[in-house]
Amino acid sequence: MHINNYNRKLNAVFVVLLIFLIFCAARLIYIQLFHSNYLAEIANKQHNSYVELEPRRGTIFDINFKPQAVNVAAYSLYASPNRMRDKDKELAIAKLSEILGLSREYLNNRLSRNKYFVWLARKMTDRQAEVIKGLNIKGLDFMKESKRSYPNGYMASHVVGFAGLDNNGLEGVELRYDNYLKGQPGWAIFLRDARQKQLDLYEKMVLPVDGYDVVLTIDEVIQYIAERELDKAFKKYRAQGAMIIVMDPHTGAILALANRPTYDLNDHASINKDQMRDRAICDLFEPGSVFKIVTAAAALEGKKVVEEDKFFCENGSYKVGSHILHDHRAHGWLTFREVIEQSSNIGTTKIAQKLGPQVIYNYAKLFGFGSKLGIDLSGEINGSLKDPRFWSATSIGAIPIGQEVGVTALQLVAAISVIANGGQLMRPYIIEEIKDKYGEVIQKTQPAMIRKVISLDTALRVKKILAGVVENGTGKLAKVPGFTSAGKTGTAQKLEPNGAYSHNKFIASFIGFAPVEDPLISIVVIVDDPHPYYFGGVVSAPVFKNVAADVLRYLNARQPVKIGS
Amino acid sequence: MRLSKLLAGVGFVTLLCLLYVHQQTEIFRMAYVGQKKSIYFHELLDKNAILRYNIGKKVSLVSLGDKVSENAGFQMPDAYRLVKMANPPEDVVAQQQVSTESVFARVFGIKRQAEAKPLNPSILFGAVKE
Repeated sequence: MHINNYNRKLNAVFVVLLIFLIFCAARLIYIQLFHSNYLAEIANKQHNSYVELEPRRGTIFDINFKPQAVNVAAYSLYASPNRMRDKDKELAIAKLSEILGLSREYLNNRLSRNKYFVWLARKMTDRQAEVIKGLNIKGLDFMKESKRSYPNGYMASHVVGFAGLDNNGLEGVELRYDNYLKGQPGWAIFLRDARQKQLDLYEKMVLPVDGYDVVLTIDEVIQYIAERELDKAFKKYRAQGAMIIVMDPHTGAILALANRPTYDLNDHASINKDQMRDRAICDLFEPGSVFKIVTAAAALEGKKVVEEDKFFCENGSYKVGSHILHDHRAHGWLTFREVIEQSSNIGTTKIAQKLGPQVIYNYAKLFGFGSKLGIDLSGEINGSLKDPRFWSATSIGAIPIGQEVGVTALQLVAAISVIANGGQLMRPYIIEEIKDKYGEVIQKTQPAMIRKVISLDTALRVKKILAGVVENGTGKLAKVPGFTSAGKTGTAQKLEPNGAYSHNKFIASFIGFAPVEDPLISIVVIVDDPHPYYFGGVVSAPVFKNVAADVLRYLNARQPVKIGS
Repeated sequence: MRLSKLLAGVGFVTLLCLLYVHQQTEIFRMAYVGQKKSIYFHELLDKNAILRYNIGKKVSLVSLGDKVSENAGFQMPDAYRLVKMANPPEDVVAQQQVSTESVFARVFGIKRQAEAKPLNPSILFGAVKE
């Protein structure tokens, strides 16, 4: 009886256990078949963390490999408001407003959020990060990011441009070559420990591809000289704007490009669009007398005149169509050479009348006016040049002297380079090469001739006339001590909003090159609305002189020394 | 006999398991150590980069040039004001090599041998007092 009872109990326990086992097995099968993915996902989330690996953004160098844009580690501050006590929040608001200069309202708003992660300040300075770390406030932590920094501040700001908080290019070369510079991000799945801290043990990893380095044709020293002299003129003449381009006339490589107003690349958050505009390639203006080089070259190339042909300059007043043309100084008879040297509007118009509108238009097009030159920077404009069909009766007295035509500073420097290099229009370029981090060249820009504009003989003859402009004419202040130089001055009246020419707003310009025998540099200097002086020969020519003198000394100093045996 | 074999087997498997667990804990321990060192190393690298950047900024043309040109009419020096160091031309180098060879030839040549001669110490050190 006792044994029977025992057996029954044992069987009962066995059956209960069996049922429990079957239940467990069934549950396991159910989990395995229907819930495995869901549970595996939760487990993965607990054990693994997905991290995006940031690539190194490429460096921008000048032609001598001096860095113009680099990456520097920067700390960004974030808070976990849900983990912070009220006391910590109060302390954080009091201290951070003092250290970071942030308003208490902003900090209070951020720290009151019901979140585990809120940004408080992105990419702060190293010093600020050190001080905040020292406070040891619970709930505040740092994330390391890389910050784009510009060691030269405002220098070549319109060329280099800048990248934003997320390291995406927003302006200049940073924007135009963003695809090359930014690289490709990688990713990794790292293990996490029980405290959810990331461990340097990864399950899967795709390495980031670093961005390429970009080498500019800009020379830091030449750029500095150009910026310094342009800035002096901009301030001295209280101008509205100013621009300068220094170019190698034989290759088209831009050695320096600067605009005023400008801005500091490290402080681009507070700038306006006017400061940001690269005036040298995207501002259109009437060039004035500097355009006479086109008329002069066309006349000599077409063999319509020679240097000693004489033109009567009507003693300073000449009617063209319904418009009366004036010279800034009354002239009688002038030779063709003197017409250009003294920048006579009447003499130039008479030469243009001899050539005809179609010839003037053709040569202006050949010199690159009215169309893009194809520089490797964003924002270049065409300029404007009217087809002869649309010329009015007065156009023949306006276009050959640089009115009714819109040009950019880039087009002017390319045009003067045609005279300097013997007649070739070169495509301007600013990117020398693109390299990967191992130094292998990915892309290299070769100098390219757009077209042959005039013959070598014509170029040499125009060169001599332009040397005369500096020696005897309106450009005497452009004479470079120790070197020969040639160029052309220009003083253009600006247009008023009603379309009439202003009598007190001018654009003072000078285009030239040096040395005359074998030009190393061609330069354009434009000063917009200078006061009280406004003549190109007074305002812009001295800038040319100072820049050319220093740049030529610098280039000569770079020549290797040869010791005789 | 069977029980002893079973126990030995169980012991062996347990040992293997313990070794595996030890290996895993070592991996994690070393990962923590490595991570600490890596963080420190990267901090140093970052500081180095920041210092280099700050130095670069201080000695940049903008910074130096503006200071210099504020106080004086700073300009590039003329060529005659520059002193340049340059490598001698190849023929000069070749000449030097030839002369070196002739010294070499003199040492091992059959010409007059160098002789050591006694030297009066007073020539070198002045009068010797006794």
